[in-house]
Amino acid sequence: MFAIKPLISMFVLLFAPSLLAATFTFTAIPDEDESQLRTRFDKVAVYLEEKLGVEVKYVPVKSYSAAVTAFRNNQVQLAWFGGLSGVQARRLVPGSDAIAQGYEDQFFKSYFIAHHSTEIIADDSFPNLNGYTFTFGSKDSTSGRLMPQFFIERNLGKRPEDIFKRIGFSGDHSRTIAQVQAGVYQVGAVNYKVWESALAAGKIDLNKVDVIWTTPTYPDYQWTVRAGVDETFGEGFKARVEAALLGMTDTDLLKSFPRKSFVPAENQDYEPIENVAKTIGLID
Amino acid sequence: MPDLVRMSSIPRHAFFGYWQKVTLILLGVTMACFYWADTEIIALEPWSELQRIALGFLSPDFLATEYLLEAVWQTISFALLGVAAGLLLGAPVALFYNKPLVAAACAFIRSIHELFWALLFLQVFGLSPLTGVLAIALPYGATFARVFSDILQQAPVYTLQNLPANTDKVSRYIYGRFAHVMNEIKAYVRYRFECALRSSAILGFVGMPTLGFYLESAFRQGHYHQGAALLILFIIMIGSIPYWCRAKLLPLYFIAAVWLLPDITTIDGSLVWRFLSDDILPPMFQSHSIDLLFNDKWRLFAQWLYDIVTEQALPGILATVLLAVAALGFSYLLALLMTTFSFKPLTGAFITRLNNFILLILRSIPEYILAYIFMLLLGPSMLPAIIALAIHNGALVAYLTARQSSTTTFSQHFNGKIDGYAYDILPRIYPNMMALLFYRFEVILRETAILGMLGVATLGFYIDSNFSEIRFNGALVLIGATALLNILIDIASRKLLVNGSLSHKPC
Repeated sequence: MFAIKPLISMFVLLFAPSLLAATFTFTAIPDEDESQLRTRFDKVAVYLEEKLGVEVKYVPVKSYSAAVTAFRNNQVQLAWFGGLSGVQARRLVPGSDAIAQGYEDQFFKSYFIAHHSTEIIADDSFPNLNGYTFTFGSKDSTSGRLMPQFFIERNLGKRPEDIFKRIGFSGDHSRTIAQVQAGVYQVGAVNYKVWESALAAGKIDLNKVDVIWTTPTYPDYQWTVRAGVDETFGEGFKARVEAALLGMTDTDLLKSFPRKSFVPAENQDYEPIENVAKTIGLID
Repeated sequence: MPDLVRMSSIPRHAFFGYWQKVTLILLGVTMACFYWADTEIIALEPWSELQRIALGFLSPDFLATEYLLEAVWQTISFALLGVAAGLLLGAPVALFYNKPLVAAACAFIRSIHELFWALLFLQVFGLSPLTGVLAIALPYGATFARVFSDILQQAPVYTLQNLPANTDKVSRYIYGRFAHVMNEIKAYVRYRFECALRSSAILGFVGMPTLGFYLESAFRQGHYHQGAALLILFIIMIGSIPYWCRAKLLPLYFIAAVWLLPDITTIDGSLVWRFLSDDILPPMFQSHSIDLLFNDKWRLFAQWLYDIVTEQALPGILATVLLAVAALGFSYLLALLMTTFSFKPLTGAFITRLNNFILLILRSIPEYILAYIFMLLLGPSMLPAIIALAIHNGALVAYLTARQSSTTTFSQHFNGKIDGYAYDILPRIYPNMMALLFYRFEVILRETAILGMLGVATLGFYIDSNFSEIRFNGALVLIGATALLNILIDIASRKLLVNGSLSHKPC
């Protein structure tokens, strides 16, 4: 019985919260092309190191939820989140702030694409998708899941499972395109930027698959910085991070994301995303 | 195998013996599941995508992956450390495995896929190597416990009986039992190491720095030149285990594995505590939940649980069972076919060697990738998943059966033809093959989880959804349901397979 107290203190020592993390760590998953992540983002780390004067490290992650977890657990203090993952992260770590978004993210949109056999004709009004098979992107994607599901529910007045014959989660925008092009699913929703680059790269046969509807614009990717960085890295650190991001003009760095430039953003910009996520039940 | 011998030697049942019955039941149940499963084939235009995949394999790009050597080494290192830690955990537990509670606890641990263990550990240890090693060590430890206990039970008792009466317990155990089965245990551990390499690669899917990290991204995003290169590398790695994994080199590898492990981030006790005391509680009991009356909390909890069970757990269990059983039946057919091909006296050296090569490839390609290719060909029903699981597991069972039956002595009268094979050879290796197959069922059940991530609405699909919505409480309820299903099946299969008449080399 007497051994319990020392045991507890040993346990506490062993598992003590990491002392002041001297390294400023960030993570990022681009919305297209995840190859060579470390090579690409290590350059961003070097840039930030120069601007911030502290050691900066990039941690590669595999999914938005992994990025959110790392952010929540203070393993990263800065993250390039999608719209939804940013909202999730800021809810889990109160006091965290969206500080910058991509220029394109102010008016992001998703494309609904359809296989030619459906004979759905592109139109400004929402297509009647009843009875088709449909694939989203990955489950936690803003442009491949959240917003498309919201617009489907709002326009057709039903839950997706009551509309579609079959629902898939392709896991990735490129794969959504490949699957709809092959006719595996008849209709799909995809990040517009990924569609445009695939089109430019000649990966899309417009005779087989084409855009049938474009969503209204919504805010998407943003840089979110964790609460408490000023205490850890010095007064005014957050402002310096923001300045460094907004001042990033090197196209070689920007194309890793890939964005034209970064512009200021704040938490309020993402209220629509949070409301949508609540509406369709992805967050409570 | 006394029961078995007795059963198959009763003359009036000679034609319709024990194994015929088991096989017929298996095929019947498979047909039923296949009928109920969603197996619609949808006419498609997969050719441009398949062409891209084929081109990728024709000109694999080995330089497209950054930090490739590091990824190869980490794959080996996680597997090595995972197996070692699994042995440390599992070997002692094997001695108590006859206790029902221990057996159930092990079945529980085994039933959770490595990926889900990793996702759980990610929440508390983050992207630390500890997450990866533990995610292998725990389920492997539980498997070692069961298999070692099975093997030990089969050890002959005559040495034990002949030891002097005053021999101490440890010596009795080591010389009386363990010495008899040491080779078998070694062989099993060697086989598990191959499995661990696969597991280690797959842990890359959730962020461990192994080959799977790059492999998954490459295939998911259609970088087939890169993906093909990684897959080829992985198959070479598995195929060449006998050349690089020598007993004498193991200590060296082991030291290197520990030495070169990525930095272990400090474990934050508060994260562990938060996860256990808050994250996994139902929403209404969490610290940030709105203040409710005590009774309301329980009512909400009942509603919450009811929703999860009816909307996710039950449909998930149904899909999981249908998929797994259908896959089991097709694995059986494939295993039977490929075992036959790998019997040298029947098919000759060339076909045997070719077949062994095909088996290596088929068992090394992750089901996930097979399923995607079949999905392009057949559409998004359960069929691609069934075929992918069947190919992978059928090839594995055939490989293990062939390996174990290569030493089987066959009668001098074997005529080298298919009838001779069917009446002379097959009955000798059949029980072993069936045992491997049924042990494999547990693995198939667990592997449906990965295919869930591909969109087949198995339990794994719902667990993955809960993780991506950061709802650990829901994920835990479903993991519990998975475990329960596994324990029930474990009990049922043990009853079905007459007390240990099925042999002893599970996989």
